[in-house]
Amino acid sequence: MSHSRKLSLNAFLHDTGHHEASWRHPDSGLDRIDDITWYQEIARKAEAAKLDAVFLADGPAWYGSAHRPSNQFEPITLLTAIAAVTDKLGLISTASTSYYEPYNLARLFASLDRISGGRAGWNIVTTYSDDAARNFGQDGVLPNETRYERAQEFVDVITALWDSWEDDAVVADRESGVYVDTAKVHRIDHAGKYLKVRGPFNAPRTPQGRPVYVQAGSSNDGRLFAARNAEAIFTAHQTLGDAQAFYADIKSKARGLGRNPDHVLVLPGISPFIADTEKEAKDLYDYFNSLTVPAFGLGQLEKVAGVSLRHLDLDEKVPAEIFGSAGNVLDNDRSRKQVVANIVERDQPTLRELLHRLAGGRGHNVVHGTPTQIADTIQEWFEGGAADGFNVMPPLYPQLLDAFTEKVVPILQDRGLFRTEYTGSTLREHYGLPRPASIYSSDGASANTAETA
Amino acid sequence: MTTNHTTPGRRLHLNAFLMEAGHHEAAWRLPEADPGASFDLGHYVRLAQLAESAKFDSLFLADGPVAQGTGEFRTPGQLEPLTLLTALAGATERIGLIATASTTYNDPYNLARTFASVDHVSNGRAGWNIVTSATEQEAANFGLAGRPLHATRYERAEEFLDVALKLWDSWSDDHFLGDKVAGRWGDPTELRPIDHVGTHFRVAGPLNVPRPPQGYPLLVQAGASEEGKRFAARYAEAIFVAHQTLEAAQSFYADLKARAVAAGRDPDQVVILPGIVPIIGSTEREAIALAQQLDDLRIPEFGLRALATVLEVPVEDLILDAPLAPAITQRTSREGFDSRANLIIELAVREQLTVRQILGRLGGGRGHNVVVGTPEQIVEVMECWFHHGGADGFNVMGAALPSGLETFIEQVVPLLRAKGLFREEYEGRTLREHYGLPRPANQYVRDGAAGVR
Repeated sequence: MSHSRKLSLNAFLHDTGHHEASWRHPDSGLDRIDDITWYQEIARKAEAAKLDAVFLADGPAWYGSAHRPSNQFEPITLLTAIAAVTDKLGLISTASTSYYEPYNLARLFASLDRISGGRAGWNIVTTYSDDAARNFGQDGVLPNETRYERAQEFVDVITALWDSWEDDAVVADRESGVYVDTAKVHRIDHAGKYLKVRGPFNAPRTPQGRPVYVQAGSSNDGRLFAARNAEAIFTAHQTLGDAQAFYADIKSKARGLGRNPDHVLVLPGISPFIADTEKEAKDLYDYFNSLTVPAFGLGQLEKVAGVSLRHLDLDEKVPAEIFGSAGNVLDNDRSRKQVVANIVERDQPTLRELLHRLAGGRGHNVVHGTPTQIADTIQEWFEGGAADGFNVMPPLYPQLLDAFTEKVVPILQDRGLFRTEYTGSTLREHYGLPRPASIYSSDGASANTAETA
Repeated sequence: MTTNHTTPGRRLHLNAFLMEAGHHEAAWRLPEADPGASFDLGHYVRLAQLAESAKFDSLFLADGPVAQGTGEFRTPGQLEPLTLLTALAGATERIGLIATASTTYNDPYNLARTFASVDHVSNGRAGWNIVTSATEQEAANFGLAGRPLHATRYERAEEFLDVALKLWDSWSDDHFLGDKVAGRWGDPTELRPIDHVGTHFRVAGPLNVPRPPQGYPLLVQAGASEEGKRFAARYAEAIFVAHQTLEAAQSFYADLKARAVAAGRDPDQVVILPGIVPIIGSTEREAIALAQQLDDLRIPEFGLRALATVLEVPVEDLILDAPLAPAITQRTSREGFDSRANLIIELAVREQLTVRQILGRLGGGRGHNVVVGTPEQIVEVMECWFHHGGADGFNVMGAALPSGLETFIEQVVPLLRAKGLFREEYEGRTLREHYGLPRPANQYVRDGAAGVR
């Protein structure tokens, strides 16, 4: 069996695992989370299974508590260390357009793309966090509209920097002593509302031209930004229906903007508890939830809700009005709040049940089942217009990544849904994305206005 | 306290200053050179392993967030240094890893975090060369119409350092509880906000990375202006500096050590490392021929533009076969490369050089001391500076790389060892240990009240 369309699968890295209580598991890697070899070993496992990429979420602030570690090495350097021990695996890092200067960030990603031989991806976020804002001289997070307006300008600037050396700018002719053809290196002379950057960049165009542009955040502003800029989208959905609606909306928006919808991959999160029998998988899920500390989950939920929840009883149903009018998957100001509000509305859980629902993946789809059941769900979403692949979020590293790669991936391969060998060597090639021409080249100037295929 | 440059058994510190195909501006044109060296990880890995095989204390990468010049006659940039250091950390085990980063064009939270990460990833081998970035061209990449004034840049640098030290200290070394049963990962009282409010920064903290293995990365400074020296006396643990004569080196050395004492510091904990560009031949004639070969490859226009930038004059004001105009030599201060400009002017006046001759003298090391001779002659210079209060060690700058470093290691290092001036094996594991520096106490921890400064 062989399908022409293949799944894209990332391993979303997260210290001991995605489940908030994973660190309490007797076999967790708690004592290794400040050890670079921990992340290198996991990445090598992902590469051995031919996954497309590893991904690191990030924010420039400490989000931890006594009840969960939140140590976060700076992700671009962490991925550089992973690049050294892998050959093909894509390397995707989150970085904030609100708290970086574009020239600096352009250099970090260009360097990662160069060092890794074309495997870098940038998850573009605007950082919705008061804690982060207060580390950068602000009193609190700026409004959505302002953050996304700056983000768009930031992306335009960084794109111009990455493109400012045309692909054939370096001459390096020993005889004449000419190093670059200065006619092919361009100042960008950007002067906008938020940023002023003269350029040019101080490095040649990278192997991928630009790192892959990824976006996460499915609010109204986020979806519009994604449709315009993103080549891959990380998103959280609890139901097939919501995922389908999101998928159709993004693809249609991209098409409407003159982009090829196949060049905008939609990759929902999935956090799978895998065991040989359905009962064992459910028991495993329940066991992890038994390790949660309610005070921690409540604190996390309060950040999403934006109000205190201390007055609620753990075993009473959560009042729907707590989340007010959070909208729906295609109309909301904060996508994660909307996901949680929909769980409350649809399933009417007790507070304890809600905390357990969120403990595994913070609103991402947490599933439990046999390898075949997990593979069935993946196939259903993939073939049902809901996903081009998945961001796989193992509840416990590395054990539940191993379960996925050793038991689920072979089923997907047997069904012809996932590669058995890498066919490319860059992240763009894994994702089936073209290498963009420089906007300063004659090709790029025309390609940019008519990408539709 | 007195300086101990006559202490018996005192040993040299050697730092390998790496730079693309070599420090000589035309080194990339040598037949042996790799013209793509500046963006080739493999080139830097070879150099790092070479320096480590000779037990160098550290390697160093200079940097600026800008295209240096037009790139027409020499690469205008290199890989971003913190990602490059991370990659080199994986290819080495003991050697220290020092990179330049600007306090003017970074945010302290991002930079403190990245250096903390590199220190963790390298198991305590990171060093930060703190610069304030001198050029208009850099300012223009960060939204500034002109560069901030010298004094403002150093004022910001001091506050930046205070914030960075607070962030690195925001986690106690013993924050970790790891109590899986009680659900307490860490002790929240051992992580603290820094709540810094100053003229340039407001930063809440804490950092999201545990205290680095070295406490702080090694703090390095380069720049010998009055503000630079004041800053170095307060913060720097190692100093990179350029001198043309022993007298200048002695005067700087004595001045800096005295300033450190005045600041209440142990002068032995300020390690002074002048640059040396050794051009080595088995006979003096061979060495001169090698220097001539490099000199013949220079393109005067490149050097002329670089000289105009440092002296802050229009390039038209520099006449190749005339001495520097009095308007240039009599100007007392500049906003940019103040100390380097003074060094060049002193050299030109002292030796009555024409501009063309100045370019020849600067081609090898931009003002650093170029020593052309046999291995014995190189050792003689190093020993003399080391024993006569000019240096605690050297920043070794291969004119061509890797060959310049290879020759130094094969022919000069054994002579230094035979005289008992350089280590046979590493004794420590961290960069601080190589330089004989203590791990700083945490400013927030009571027992650490008598910290390093």
